[in-house]
Amino acid sequence: MVARAARVGEDGTVQTAYENGTGPVRPAWRATPRPPLVRHRQGKVVAGVAAGLAAHLGVPVNAVRIALVVSSIPFGAGLAVYVFLWATMREVGDVDPAMAAAASPGIDPVTGAPVPGAAATTGAAGWAGAATGPATIGGHQIDLASVRTWLRSGNQAVLITLFGVAALALAGALWLGSAGLDVHAEVILPIVAIVIGAIFFWSQLDDTDAIGARRPVRWIWLVVGLGLTILGLVGLLVRGTNLTELWQVAGAVLAALVGVAVLSAPWVLRLWSNLRLEQAARIRATERADIAAHLHDSVLQTLALIQRQSADAATVARLARAQERQLRSYLYDEDARAGSLGAALTAAMGEVEDLHGVPVELVVTGDRPMDMHLDALVKAVREATWNAVRHASPPVSTYVEVGPDAVEAFVRDHGSGFDLDTVPDDRAGVRESIIGRMERHGGTARIRRRPDGTEVELRLPVGEPPQGDPTATPTATPAPSPSANATPSVPSTPDPKTQEQAS
Amino acid sequence: MTDPRTIRIVIVDDHHMFRTGVRAELTSLAASAGAASFQLEIVGEAGAVESAVTAITEQQPDVVLLDVHLPGGDGHGGADVIRACAAVQSRAGVPVRFLALSVSDAAEDVIAVIRAGARGYVTKTISAEDLLTAIGRVADGDAVFSPRLAGFVLDAFGAAAGEVAEIDEELDRLSAREREVMRLIARGYQYKEVAKELFISVKTVETHVSSVLRKLQLSSRHELTAWAMGRRLL
Repeated sequence: MVARAARVGEDGTVQTAYENGTGPVRPAWRATPRPPLVRHRQGKVVAGVAAGLAAHLGVPVNAVRIALVVSSIPFGAGLAVYVFLWATMREVGDVDPAMAAAASPGIDPVTGAPVPGAAATTGAAGWAGAATGPATIGGHQIDLASVRTWLRSGNQAVLITLFGVAALALAGALWLGSAGLDVHAEVILPIVAIVIGAIFFWSQLDDTDAIGARRPVRWIWLVVGLGLTILGLVGLLVRGTNLTELWQVAGAVLAALVGVAVLSAPWVLRLWSNLRLEQAARIRATERADIAAHLHDSVLQTLALIQRQSADAATVARLARAQERQLRSYLYDEDARAGSLGAALTAAMGEVEDLHGVPVELVVTGDRPMDMHLDALVKAVREATWNAVRHASPPVSTYVEVGPDAVEAFVRDHGSGFDLDTVPDDRAGVRESIIGRMERHGGTARIRRRPDGTEVELRLPVGEPPQGDPTATPTATPAPSPSANATPSVPSTPDPKTQEQAS
Repeated sequence: MTDPRTIRIVIVDDHHMFRTGVRAELTSLAASAGAASFQLEIVGEAGAVESAVTAITEQQPDVVLLDVHLPGGDGHGGADVIRACAAVQSRAGVPVRFLALSVSDAAEDVIAVIRAGARGYVTKTISAEDLLTAIGRVADGDAVFSPRLAGFVLDAFGAAAGEVAEIDEELDRLSAREREVMRLIARGYQYKEVAKELFISVKTVETHVSSVLRKLQLSSRHELTAWAMGRRLL
């Protein structure tokens, strides 16, 4: 786990240094580039500070962790450094929930590292439990299931940090006490509360600043964090004297906070709206650059080729057709159906067209995810179409119908057709690649000779497609989504009026 | 050639080059003997919704070749033209027929113009011969289905999944016969080949196709709606 975290950190860091151009200015004598001081979303244990620091300094991540833990024991210096860095280091990398989920089981043994101090001191666990327990229970209506989902949602890192902070503070206090120094519990406890509150608060910052992968802000965490911080501030100012003073100080603290909020609100709002505008502009610019890059790589190249070969009509037609197909797939976002039968057929027919320059009219109704048998079907269809464009004359039509219990394919041409007996060269091809292949996969193949052409019919029995597959039929996908429109999404009683108006 | 009738057409497309190309192709092909059973006269051209409506109202053509994407109007391109000219009749006293012609065979374009009232839909890569045949068919009031459109119909009516209407009048599903016709068209069969395959007359095939077109225009079928909404059409 540690090794992986470090490796991921280093790889990613080097990459970002080139991508963003934000790498620090490095002296000429330095052979290896120093990665920028950033936190990575991937491979982090708590907030990624230690890993980022280790990558930046070029030292093992464990050394950084130990140094942080050891320096935290006297006065919480390491902890302060950690929190400061957490707040100031930029977070980079993609937010990938799957990655986070995969990384989380490995967290526990590693983050066990800062905690031994707590385990050694017997009272620590009880104290920490008492300190953090009410905070969380006070915020949530807790039952076991919700706790489990809450823990799984990546919050355990924050929780572990809280335990670590509390344990370290206690260990530090005990250590100071045993060293003969005066332990001011009334100072340490509020500071711990402030730190924990800040962690709560900032943990939400980590979730929300990711563009495009925005998790909802858990307001309860913000409230708890804010409450703890205010409590800590009040406690620090009052230092355990009487109650009336407590109220006065609490009022003063609240007033100060409200004042700051009121003064900074317009400023923050303007910053926020500016940021939004800038983000939108950047997204537009990125999209434009993407489209420009795509057009340059595809359309412009093809146009150049067409100009060079303008004398050869067949080549021009083939180039135009291939380019048209590519552009269509780009425009209609056919990447979304990757891995489906429709996409595989489109690709196969494209190959045939490119090889022979004869247009193939492909129609697919329904769709389903690819599997081994469908792959065989696609190959058989490809072979049949290939035969049609070679031996027959256009138009060549390929129709594939995905039914509930079978996939049927028809390849039709309009030429004299290929006959098993009259085309001996292809006899093996037809027998083996079409008929034999279909039969091996439990399907059937039939070749019909007609006066005006030949038709190959393929049939492959299939079972129910796996449920919940993202590559399910395109007609089925929009159906379950509750529509924002007035049109009712009840299958049995669509409202004709709404439909008519809407169309 | 017992029928020396003349079909008058208007070409509506915002690409001048395409209009010129189609005009040249159709004129030369219709002039060559035996290519079609009718004479073709191109009586107007337009490049936007408003000018198209003006040209169609003035010329009262039999058939309009209509591009799906047009500037002007309410932003719905060809569909706006069809709606604006819904009451216009040709000189023969029948409604003006629209044949949609588009560079795109995307479902959103198909459904929009067909539901607006077009009698057929072909892509611009169609050969001149096929286009001429399609014009003749649309002028007769029949529907023109490309294989792609037939595939779309099968998809949208759930016919591929085995849903078949009990009675022909049911709007939300295809009858067994209509489904067969659609499947054969999707397989690349011409009308006369469909007729031969199913042992019915070409006229019956045309009746089935027109009936499917009517269902496509009138149906409030849920899948059709969901399908269109999934593509942000409605």
